[in-house]
This record gives sequence, structure tokens and C-alpha cells, in this order.
Amino acid sequence: MEDYGDSDEECYYSDDRESLDGLDNEDSHFQRVTPKGPKVIRKESLLAAQREDLRRVMELLSLREHHARTLLIHYRWDVERLFAVLVEKGKSFLFTEAGVTIIESQDNDSQQTSCSTVRCDICIEDLSRDKATRMDCGHSFCNDCWTEHFIVKINEGQSKRIRCMAYKCNAICDEAVVRNLVSKRHPDLAEKFERFLLESYIEDNKMVKWCPSTPHCGNAIRVEEDQFCEVECSCGMQFCFSCLSETHSPCSCLMWELWSKKCRDESETVNWITVHTKPCPKCHKPVEKNGGCNLVSCVCGQAFCWLCGGATGRDHTWSRIAGHSCGRYKEDQEKKTERAKRDLYRYMHYHNRYKAHTDSFELESKLKKTIMRKVSISEEKESRLRDFSWVTNGLQRLFRSRRVLSYSYPFAFYMFGEELLEDGMTEVDREIKQSLFEDQQQQLESNVEKLSKFLGKPFEQYSDDKVMDIRMQVINLSVVTDSLCKKMYECIENDLLGSLQPGMHNIAPYKSKGIEKASELTTGWSSKTNATNMFLSSSGGTSKQERPSDSGSSDDSGCFALKRARKEDGGYFDLNLPAEVVDRS
Amino acid sequence: MIDFSRVQKELQECSRDIESSGIRVTPKSDNLGRLTGIIPGPTGTPYEGGTFCIDITLPDGYPFEPPKMQFATKVWHPNISSQSGAICLDILKDQWSPALTLKTALLSVQALLSAPQPDDPQDAVVAQQYIKEYQTFVGTARYWTETFAKVSSLGVEEKVQKLVEMGFPESLVRSTLEAVGGDENLALEKLCSG
Repeated sequence: MEDYGDSDEECYYSDDRESLDGLDNEDSHFQRVTPKGPKVIRKESLLAAQREDLRRVMELLSLREHHARTLLIHYRWDVERLFAVLVEKGKSFLFTEAGVTIIESQDNDSQQTSCSTVRCDICIEDLSRDKATRMDCGHSFCNDCWTEHFIVKINEGQSKRIRCMAYKCNAICDEAVVRNLVSKRHPDLAEKFERFLLESYIEDNKMVKWCPSTPHCGNAIRVEEDQFCEVECSCGMQFCFSCLSETHSPCSCLMWELWSKKCRDESETVNWITVHTKPCPKCHKPVEKNGGCNLVSCVCGQAFCWLCGGATGRDHTWSRIAGHSCGRYKEDQEKKTERAKRDLYRYMHYHNRYKAHTDSFELESKLKKTIMRKVSISEEKESRLRDFSWVTNGLQRLFRSRRVLSYSYPFAFYMFGEELLEDGMTEVDREIKQSLFEDQQQQLESNVEKLSKFLGKPFEQYSDDKVMDIRMQVINLSVVTDSLCKKMYECIENDLLGSLQPGMHNIAPYKSKGIEKASELTTGWSSKTNATNMFLSSSGGTSKQERPSDSGSSDDSGCFALKRARKEDGGYFDLNLPAEVVDRS
Repeated sequence: MIDFSRVQKELQECSRDIESSGIRVTPKSDNLGRLTGIIPGPTGTPYEGGTFCIDITLPDGYPFEPPKMQFATKVWHPNISSQSGAICLDILKDQWSPALTLKTALLSVQALLSAPQPDDPQDAVVAQQYIKEYQTFVGTARYWTETFAKVSSLGVEEKVQKLVEMGFPESLVRSTLEAVGGDENLALEKLCSG
């Protein structure tokens, strides 16, 4: 057991040792170039990022690049959908829809070349042939008019779809012509055009999104297949790819949105006021009863009855207020107050726990420094213990589990409450599921606390034997919390969210190694093999030959095992597959 | 900048076949940026016999940007505002092509007069009437044509004469008549009440 901590390569090599991944040194892992997983797209690599899609379309339909781009922009860079349309409706439909025209014969051209001048129908001038440009659709106009048209369209923000000038011609203009003509008159506008065209890959593509960092780092992130995931940009920003807010699994995006709004706004304060105060009948300020009998007096001097809220005189006995009687029971009012009270307590229960874990998370982040100092002290000591990677690994595990734990509370708040999922399940069903979930949550909670406790011990002052003991505890607890987290996610995906309407609530899959860092886009790899790779997605694990040579041997590691398993089962909604299926593959 | 040489050519072209198309375009001033288009009401429609004036303003980007057109003559039509004369026509917006001209655009407007599209209305009141009470619509449209689109609309002068003889000031009579759409009874009612 001594050596796995510092050689994570070996640890990752086979899937059956995945259970040990709580002990790996994850810092080194994701920086390696991997062919799968999220990618960082920088300004410089934007073109390279879309090459692959362009090439696939160009090769399959034997098209020129600008035609392929026009098609892809029209189909929002969804190559699969584009191919589906091609199969279902045919090539000509596909082309007409997107505004791609390819002239088969050159007859027109040869006829026209016979005379040396042409008339431009826009400016109504006769000019020599070399001053006019003929677009793919066959329409020819003079260069000045084309340029003017392009400039107007670019300024209108229509760079991505500049149509031919001819009336009712749907054809999209050749980007090379646009670039060429516009740059002669307005080089900066040509640049703008170029950028719009390139950024279409980000703007119009559901698999690519801008990093939400502020100030913006300039990067975009591309994911593979599953849009429900959490990623880390190379700028350090961690976010939920689906909703672009902070990472929040196992909460679904909708739950998280509601929760953060709830925490932000004052609706709960208002609830508290309803439960604990009554408005003064004179000045209408909320009055809290701070003891004494039911005759309350407001700061404004007005006395009123706490039971009914009605204004009264100031004389009273122990049993009744003079000239006032309100014994009549008002059920509606009572019920409303009761309900508001219950809702508030319920919210407070979940919020307190969510907050406690978030606070612990923050405190523990500070702990990192202290612990690292302890480690360096220990390493100085004359001891047979040399390897302290268990400390850092344990710490990482603590952070990740703590995160899961804190977000599990808002999840439970909505999952078992009435606010969001009123008709989701029956009362009995709800009770069973809630206790199942809470058991898991409590188990995780106690193990996380234990892990935190052991990591907080001043092990640098301990004897070797005692340190060995703590080490065993930390390693064990790391493995246990990891598998508990995994189980909780599975329970949520399969047993809880799985029974709801599909598609409404999706959560990012559990990543044992924490939030995936987006890797740099490698521009050198052969696109051919990658294309095959995509087509062969149903054939199980990736074979060695398909990997780029520079990516090291750790690609097949457990971190992608879950993801790949999903992919093999096909479809987007495999989030709801039973755990065994995912495990087996 | 507006391509004035093209506008000039368009005007020449337009005046050449004025006999066949009946469409006329004349500059309002010397700068060619503001023009007036004149189209005859299409035969077989409630607009028949009327002559409709359209204000044309050319944007700087003309002909790469569409000309702005608006009816100067009041007209009762689902796709034309009865208040402002604004026209709802695709080629004057996103379907404009630099290959179109003022003449072709005016021809399209003329075509719009013969074929209203109440599903895509500019004037909801007119469109409702067109759909629900077609005969009333035809009546109103014809009445508006008679009242506003006839070059020398004797009918209006007679009404003015009549009301002035009743003792109302002429300017007030004219504005009231216009406000109620030329109906002399309504105008009288309004004049008496206010």
C-alpha cells in the first residue's frame, strides 16, 4: 500500500482499482492532455476547434469549407442533426434550407464571357467583367455594390448569414468573397466579420459555452455529449455547464436557481414577520410580543389585543381586557399562520445545515495551509514514514464530500417539499424515499465529520505508530466517503429524480476526482482517427491506437468510466439507468 | 451615402413607362432623399378610382437598405395604419433586396392594396372588420377612397359648403370632417356637441 499514493498512473491503469482513487494525487491528473472530456477553447484555438466538424461535413458531402460552415451555422453546429436531415430529406433540401447553392454546370458562365462588359442591376452601370463578381448562386453584381451590401449587413449584425443581393435569392454569400472585398475598404470591419463567423461556433452551439468568469477570461468550454456536467476553466472558474452558475450538484439546475433566489430575497423574513408579529391597528407597524399578557401596546401608544389584533382600551384584568371580547375562533387565520410557521421552520432546518457545511468548507479551505505546514514538519523528522500524500488526498476528499453534503440539503428541501414537486409522489412514497435519502445523508455526514476530525489532529507531534494509525483512518474514511457520495448521487439519479418527469431535473454526474478541469485543445491530432472514434462510440472502451501519442497512459482512467458508460448506453436520458448498468460497463 | 446616380436612373426609368404602370415618383425637393410616390388604386377593389400618395424617405444606405415608405393619403386597409399611414410589407423590411427599385416597391404596395393580409395586420381595428364584417369593410374602404383619394373630391367641398352655411367656421368644419372620416352627419353631431 505504500506506493500507490505517489504513482497515480498505476492506480488509474486498471478500472478495478478505481476504489482507491480517493488516494490519488489529483493535481497532476487533469493537466494531462486527454482526447475526451471538456476542452478549453481560446481565441487562438477557436478555428482549430471547429476544424473537426467542418472536415466531417466537407468530407461527407464533398463540399468547400465555406459551404460546410454555412450548413453548420444553419444547423447550429449539430453535425448529427445535419446528417439526420440529409438522410431524411435529402441533399437538395438540406442545401436549400441553409442557403447553399452549388452550380453544377458552367454553361451560364461561358455564355456570359462572350461579351466583355456586364450591367450591374444594383447601380445600373455597365462595367468590365473583371469588376464584377459572380456568387455561387449565379447572380453577378459589381464589386462596389457587393462591398456596400456586405458592409451594411455586417453592421446590422448579420455576418453569419449574408444573403445574395438578388430578390428572393436565399443563397448565402461566399465568406472568402466577403472577406476579400470588405478588407479592401474596411479592414477592421473585415476582422469583425471574421470574428462573428468564428464565434458562431460558440454562440450557436449547445456543446460550447463562454466561461462565465468576470472579468471574462476570454475562453470558452466545449463538452462532449453530456451537457449536464461541471467543469473548471483554465482560468480557475468552476461552473455548472448547463446553467452557468456555480457548481451545485446534486441539486438540479432548477432547484439551485430557486434555492439561491430563496436565500437571496426576503420572502422568509416576511414569513417570520407573519408568524411572530401583528400589525398595530393604528400605525400598522409590525409589533412583536415580548412577554406579558395579551394586551399589547405599540410604540405609538396604541393598545391592542394580541389575540385578534383589534384596538382596545388600556384597562384590563388578568382574565380579560375591559370592553373587549374576541373568544370566537377564526380557523382560516389560524391555519394560515400555522402553515407559514411550518414552512419557515422547514426552510430554516435545511438552510442551517446547508449553511453549516458551506461554512465548514470555507474554514477547511483555510485549514489546507496549516495542514501543509504540518506535513512539511513531519517530512523533516527522522522517521520511516516518508510519504504524506494521504494527507493531501484526504484533504481533497474532505473538500469534495463537504461540497456534496452542503448541496444535498437544498436538494432535499425541494425533493421532499411541496414547493417544486407538488404532485411528484404520494405521501407514503415520499416518506420512504425521504428516509432512504436521509439515512445516506447522515452516514455521509458522520464520516465527513470524522475525516475532518482526523485531519485536524496535530499529527506532526505524534509518534510514528500513532501517525500510522491516523493514516489508516484517513485512508479508510476517504474511501468510505467517496463511495458514499457516489451512492448518494446514484440514489438521487435513479431512485429519486428517476421517478420524475424525464428531462426536468438533471444533475451532473458524480466525479470522484472532483470537478473536471477542461484540458487544452490539441491541434495536432489526426482528425481521421478522431472521427472514427466518434462513429465507433458504441464499441466500448477506446483502444490504444486511437489515442494521440502525447496523451500518456492514464486516459482510460476511472474518471471517464462513468461518462463512457453513459455514452455506451446511448441517448441523453440514460441518467436514469439503474446503477448496476452503469457499474457493469 | 445615397447612390444618387442610381436614384436618378430609377426616376428616368419610371417616367419612361408611366403610361403602362401608372406609377409616378417625383422628388419633393432637390436633394432626391425625399420623394413622393403616386399609385392608382387597383381596379376591382374598393380603392379603384383613387390616387394614393406615398411619402418616400431614402436612408443613407439606399439601395442597400430599404426605402422608408408611408401613405400620405388616408387609406382603410388591414396592413396600413389608418392613423399614420405606416405600411406593413415584408420587402420594406427584412425581405428588401438591393435589386428592387422604388418602382417595384411601389408596385408591391399596389399589389398589397388588391390583396390584404388580415393575418398580419398593421391596423388591428381594420383587420377585425375585414375578417368579421367584410361588407362594412368594403364600404368604409370605398368611402375613404372617395373622401381622401380623389384628386378633386367634390363631395367633400359640398359637405364643407353645407356645414359652413349652417354657421360653423370653415377651418373647424374641415378638421372635424377629416377627424370623423368624412361623414357629414357625424361631423355635424360633433360640431354641435363640442
